[in-house]
Amino acid sequence: MASPVLANKPAVTPPPGRRRRRPGFGRRDHVIGWLLIAPAVIYFVIFLLYPALAALYYSFTDWNLRTAPNWVGLANYTDLLFDDVKYPHFWKSVQVTLQYTLIAVPLTLGTALVQALLINAIRRGSNLFRLLLFLPVVTAEAAVGAIWRWLYDPQYGLVNTLIGIFGIPPQNWLNTPDLVIPALSFIAAWQCGISMIIYLAGLKGIPDSIREAAIIDGAGPVQRFWKIVVPMLRPTTFYLLVTGVIAALQVFGLVYVIFSGGGGRSVTGGPEQAGLTYVLHLYLFAFRYDAMGAACAMSFILFVFIMIITALQFKFVKQEAS
Amino acid sequence: MIRRVTGAAAGMALLAGLVACGGDNGTASEATTLTYWMFQDRTPQAGEVVEKLRADFEKANNVTVKIVKIPKDDYNTKLGSAVAAGTVPDVGILDQPLVARYALDGTIKEVPAGTVDEKIYYEGALNTNKVNDKLYGLPLDHTAVALFYNKKLVPTPPKTWDELKATAAKIHQADPKIAGMVVPKGDGYGGWMWPGFLGAAGGSLVDEKSKKILFDQQPGVDALQLWVDLLPSSPRQITDSDKPFENGLAGMMISGPWDVATIKADFPDLEFSTAPLPYKTEPSGNIGGENAVVFSKGKNADLAWKWLTFLTNAQNNTTLAQALGGFPTNIEAAERDAATFGPDQAAFLEQLKVAQARPALPEWIQINDEIIAPAIESALSGKVTSQQALTEAADKTRALLKWNG
Repeated sequence: MASPVLANKPAVTPPPGRRRRRPGFGRRDHVIGWLLIAPAVIYFVIFLLYPALAALYYSFTDWNLRTAPNWVGLANYTDLLFDDVKYPHFWKSVQVTLQYTLIAVPLTLGTALVQALLINAIRRGSNLFRLLLFLPVVTAEAAVGAIWRWLYDPQYGLVNTLIGIFGIPPQNWLNTPDLVIPALSFIAAWQCGISMIIYLAGLKGIPDSIREAAIIDGAGPVQRFWKIVVPMLRPTTFYLLVTGVIAALQVFGLVYVIFSGGGGRSVTGGPEQAGLTYVLHLYLFAFRYDAMGAACAMSFILFVFIMIITALQFKFVKQEAS
Repeated sequence: MIRRVTGAAAGMALLAGLVACGGDNGTASEATTLTYWMFQDRTPQAGEVVEKLRADFEKANNVTVKIVKIPKDDYNTKLGSAVAAGTVPDVGILDQPLVARYALDGTIKEVPAGTVDEKIYYEGALNTNKVNDKLYGLPLDHTAVALFYNKKLVPTPPKTWDELKATAAKIHQADPKIAGMVVPKGDGYGGWMWPGFLGAAGGSLVDEKSKKILFDQQPGVDALQLWVDLLPSSPRQITDSDKPFENGLAGMMISGPWDVATIKADFPDLEFSTAPLPYKTEPSGNIGGENAVVFSKGKNADLAWKWLTFLTNAQNNTTLAQALGGFPTNIEAAERDAATFGPDQAAFLEQLKVAQARPALPEWIQINDEIIAPAIESALSGKVTSQQALTEAADKTRALLKWNG
């Protein structure tokens, strides 16, 4: 039944230059396109989307992995935030993670930039140094943990030998609560290889002409660094900052291997829980204390927190090169 | 990582769905196969022992036993996932403190009446399988900690707490670079050893029947204070180093029988021996070891119990327990073979006679890790007194368990 109003309307003509048909369906090359991305889509749905949605559901239950989950509403969320009988170390783990992020991220970015500048400056053998500086990234985490436990050893550790040269007395790095986070951050900075490579790419992207013009204008190396290199690298720094903060808030493997020394006996988070990071705390509740539901809730609290932090960074941190 | 945990959680959920769809058709016609989960072998020799036991059992019963070996650190995570996914083995090892949890929510079966004569096992080891006086598993082996001492630094091992303190002080006085003893820490592992000291002052952790917390009473305070008092002669700066006892930097340490063989192999020059834990009023010890249980959703339960009684009978239990790194729980086996364990093992056997099982509460791991261990740590670091630390910990435990006493 055609309405007269519609009939009177001029026939719909596609705007010039646009196809009438919806793209993506019904054409052979699109079928092939869908087939080609199917593995990635299937992977995404099965291993990322579905688990995430399932975890969201379980975060509202008391699931313990064994018995059928019971719906508990928001209880996991409110208990985590306000009940320090059930979760005595929740806020401690938040504090530890924030401290770690505040120290580890700037330290990592600084180290990466310095390494990138050094490699960029040398003419020969840069490939070798790049390889050497990247090695910590590809080293197995368990090996990294073992090596650093040795380096931080209070009796034989090389770190203590090194600071001894400057007259600083030997420290018990991994067993003094105040030193745990700095010690872990330093390991993170040592593993800055990926940031270093990205900075290096950023440095290569700065046109020579700008540098040459600055030299002609009489700018010294320090001035050139602050007035040219730093502003030109701003998009790179912003990217590394955002991804670095996200990774730091989720740090797990490093603390797990460092504090599980001696046959996995003690993963309870180092001296006085000084190394109990958020995700380690989450892991313990998921797999050691029988509270998968609460652990799922923790993961969503972290998710929301990361979203907020990232949004704030996009709003308040300068991202454009200038 | 977040992604990994949520991924694991939901992967399990998905698996659960798939398994439910699969159903259990087509198993009846196959020859009977029993699936058994255990920890990864400690040594190749241990693997051979297990292999032989399996062959004997298969031959005698005309069945197949499928053994799945999983690294100890991953075992509980894997088992939890398998339970969630409904892919549990028929029978398998279960950590002592997990028995209560699994029993209370029906994940494991109660031992059917008449399966075993309970009197053939050591009581301490058997009790780690009991929840509300019901038996849910059998002890494959048991183990305990004892005092390791460096023979050069400690001519005669201390028997009492006073002697222990005096010995430690003497060692550190003679050479300030050497610590008296490796004092346990306020972590999950330290929390596991602490009850051995608590018992040595005549105390215990809790009274489950009357729902009372007991660890904050005088014996607990004394036990914690002992560790605090040992610290001046055993500085952490020395004992936090890698293997301080093995390297001769500490006169004594507390560890289990598994360390005897390792130290002998890796530090052949170290002259050491073992002795029972020093005590205040009475000898006491903690207990660890491996229990085995039958899963409710598994198959062939009768055969599973048969397998477990086979592993723990007088004939086989010694070889099995030694392969697992502990001692036989079967009294007849233990008494018959005691002489073959060697002089260094005698101390552990003494300890096992006075062992006290952990409270059979599903929340116990969390209480141990999150409440007792931090209390120990805060007293050891000098932030609060032993009494304050334990009073606070007891209050937290009461609140968590909703107990009044």
